[in-house]
Amino acid sequence: MVAGALLLLGACTGPVRSVDVYESKAGQTAEVAASAVQTALLAVDAAKGDKAYGRYLTQVLVEAEEDASSAQGTFDGIQPPDRRADALRGRLDGLLGEATDTLAELRIAARRGRFAELPELARPLPKVAEELGAFAEAHG
Amino acid sequence: MAGRVLDAGLHLLDRQLVDRDGRLAGKVDDLELTIPDGGGPPLVTAILAGPGALGRRIGGRLGAWVEAVANRLRSGEDRRPSRISFAVVKRIGSAIELSAPKAELETDRLEAWTRDHIIAHLPGAGDAPD
Amino acid sequence: MKRLFAIALGILTAIGGFVDIGDIVANAETGARFGMSLAWVVVVGVIGICLFAEMAGRVATVSGRAVFDLVRERLGARVALVNLAASFFITFLTLAAEIGGVALAIELATSVNYLLWVPIVAFLVWLVVWRVKFDVMENVFGLAGLALVVAAVALWRLGPDWGGLLHGATHPAVPQGEGHPTWWFFAIALLGAAMTPYEVFFFSSGAVEEGWSRADLITNRLNVYIGFPLGGLLSLTLMAGATLFLEPRGIQPGHLSQVALPTLLVLGKLGLAMLLIGFFAATFGAALETGLSCGYAVAQYFGFQWGKFVRPADAPRFHLILLVSIAAGAGLVLTTIDPITITEYSIVLSAAALPLTYFPILVVANDPDYMGDKVNSWFTNALGSLYLVLLLVVAAATIPLMILTKAGS
Repeated sequence: MVAGALLLLGACTGPVRSVDVYESKAGQTAEVAASAVQTALLAVDAAKGDKAYGRYLTQVLVEAEEDASSAQGTFDGIQPPDRRADALRGRLDGLLGEATDTLAELRIAARRGRFAELPELARPLPKVAEELGAFAEAHG
Repeated sequence: MAGRVLDAGLHLLDRQLVDRDGRLAGKVDDLELTIPDGGGPPLVTAILAGPGALGRRIGGRLGAWVEAVANRLRSGEDRRPSRISFAVVKRIGSAIELSAPKAELETDRLEAWTRDHIIAHLPGAGDAPD
Repeated sequence: MKRLFAIALGILTAIGGFVDIGDIVANAETGARFGMSLAWVVVVGVIGICLFAEMAGRVATVSGRAVFDLVRERLGARVALVNLAASFFITFLTLAAEIGGVALAIELATSVNYLLWVPIVAFLVWLVVWRVKFDVMENVFGLAGLALVVAAVALWRLGPDWGGLLHGATHPAVPQGEGHPTWWFFAIALLGAAMTPYEVFFFSSGAVEEGWSRADLITNRLNVYIGFPLGGLLSLTLMAGATLFLEPRGIQPGHLSQVALPTLLVLGKLGLAMLLIGFFAATFGAALETGLSCGYAVAQYFGFQWGKFVRPADAPRFHLILLVSIAAGAGLVLTTIDPITITEYSIVLSAAALPLTYFPILVVANDPDYMGDKVNSWFTNALGSLYLVLLLVVAAATIPLMILTKAGS
C-alpha cells in the first residue's frame, strides 16, 4: 500500500504529456525554490542581529541550498513537451540559477564562519524571491 | 473447581496464564479435549500454549505457517504443541492461575531459550529494578 | 502536600510528553500552508485522545491489566491479531520517525550529519529502556519536554495579532489557491499526529508499570484532562508560529531547522537552545515510549511476561522485542529516507489505523468483568462511539486522499 503510493509520488522524469502538466511542475519547482530563498533570508536576518548560533545558521543555509538545487535538478530532468515549454524552462532556469548561486555563496561563507558577510551576499535574494513567487503564482 | 459451569470458549480460551509466583506465563491458545475411555462428553485435559497451538486457532495459511515454524523449532520430539496439564490449574478467575512456577512448564521453553542465549549475555539482565 | 506534588508532576509530565515528532512536523507544515484554518482538528484530536486515554488508563487502574492485554480475551485471537499487526506496524514506523527526529535535533545543535547520530541515539534509547526505572524515565523526559514552552513564550513576546489568529482558527476555510482535497489531507495527518495509537497503549501499560490502583483514578483523570489539552495547546503554538512567520513568506518547513525559525527570531540564541532541548526531549521521550509500546503490544497479545517492573531476565522475549524493534527502527532511518518523510507517513497511516486500534478500547472499557462499577458512563460511550464513526470515515478517506493529493504536495 505504501509502496504503491510511493510509486505514484515518485518524481517523474522523461517526457510529460502536456504543457499544462509541465507548467504546473514548473510552478511547483518555483514554489520550493522560493521557500528555500525565503528561509535563507530569515536566517540572514537572524545573523544580522547575532541572534543565532553559527552552527544552526550554517545548517539552515546548507539545507536551503540543497532544497533549491534538488528542485532544480528534478525539474531539469523533465523533458519539455514543446517550444512553449522550452521558453518556460529557460525563464525558470534563469531564476533558479540565480537562487542557487547566491545560496551557494551564503553556504560557503557560513561554513567558513564569515557570518558578517552574509547580509551583503544575500542582497540579490529579495528580488529573486519575489520573481520566483510571481512565477509560481502565474504558473502553479 | 466443582460446582461452577464455565463456557470453555468464553472463560478459558485466550485467557492470561499466571504462574505460582504471579508471573505471566502465556495465554490459553487452545484446549486439549480427551474423550474418556468409558464414553461420555469430552474432558478438558490440558491447556495448549505456544505457536503450535495458536497457529491452529488462527487457521488459514498464516496459521499453518506459524504451526510449521513451531514444529521446526521442536527438533526431534513429536510434533505437538506445548501443553500444561489441567491438573496444574489452581484457580479460574479473570486470569487462569497455575500452581506451578513458570520454569516447570513446557510452555516456558522459548522464554528460557531467549533468556539463556540472548538476554543473559547483556550486562544487568539479572538486576532487580530498584 | 506530597500528594499535590505528585499530581503536579503527573500533569507536567503529561504536557511535556504530549508533543512528539509527528506533532512538530504536522503542526508546523499545516501552519505554514493553511494558517490556523485547521486548528480545530487539533482540538478534535485532543478531545479524542483524552477520551480514549482516560478509558485505557481506567482499564489498567481498575483491572490491573493493560488494555491490549485484554483485547485478545475480549475479541478473540484472530481479531486481536489483526489489531496487533496494524498497531505494531504503525508504532514501529513511529519509533523509526522518533529516532530520526532525535538525530535531527542533535544535528541542529552540532552540525554533524544526522545519520551519524542514529546508531548512538538507538543505543541510548535501548540503554534507557534497559536500565532506567520507569517513573524516572517518564519524569525526566516529560519535564524536559516542557522546554518546548519556549515556543509559546516567543509567541507571547512577539505580541502578534491575537484577534487575527483566533479568527483564522474559528473560521476554518480553505485558503486561496489551495485545493479542498489537500486541506482535508492535512486535516487527516494532523488528527493522526494528535491521536497516535501508541500513546494510548503506552498510557495503559504505564499505569500497570507504575502500579496504579483505584486510589489513582483521580490522578489518571487529572493527568489526562489537564495535561493532554495543555500539550495540545503547545502543538498549536507551533502551528501559530508557522502561521505568523512561515506562511506569509511561502516557506514550507521540510526541515526541523525551519520549525525553529519563529522562536529564534523572537527570542534569539537562548530561545533556540531551549527549543532544541525541547525537541530532543520530546523526540527521545517518544522514542522510548514507542519502543516500549512495540514490546507491550506483542507481549500482551501472546501473554508472555512484559514490563520494566521485573528484571530483564524475567521478561526475556519482551526485551528481545525492544532490542530488535529499536535496531530495526534505526535501520529504517539509516536507509537515508528523510526522517521527516517517515514521520509524514507514520502520522497518515496512524490516522488510517485509528478505528482498528481504538475500537477494542471502547469494548474493554465497557466490560463489567474487568471494570466492576467503573464501566463507561453513557456519555463516555456516546462520545466514544461518535469518535469511532469519525475515525472510520477518516480511515476510509485516507488512502484515496493520499493518492489524489500526491500525499499533500
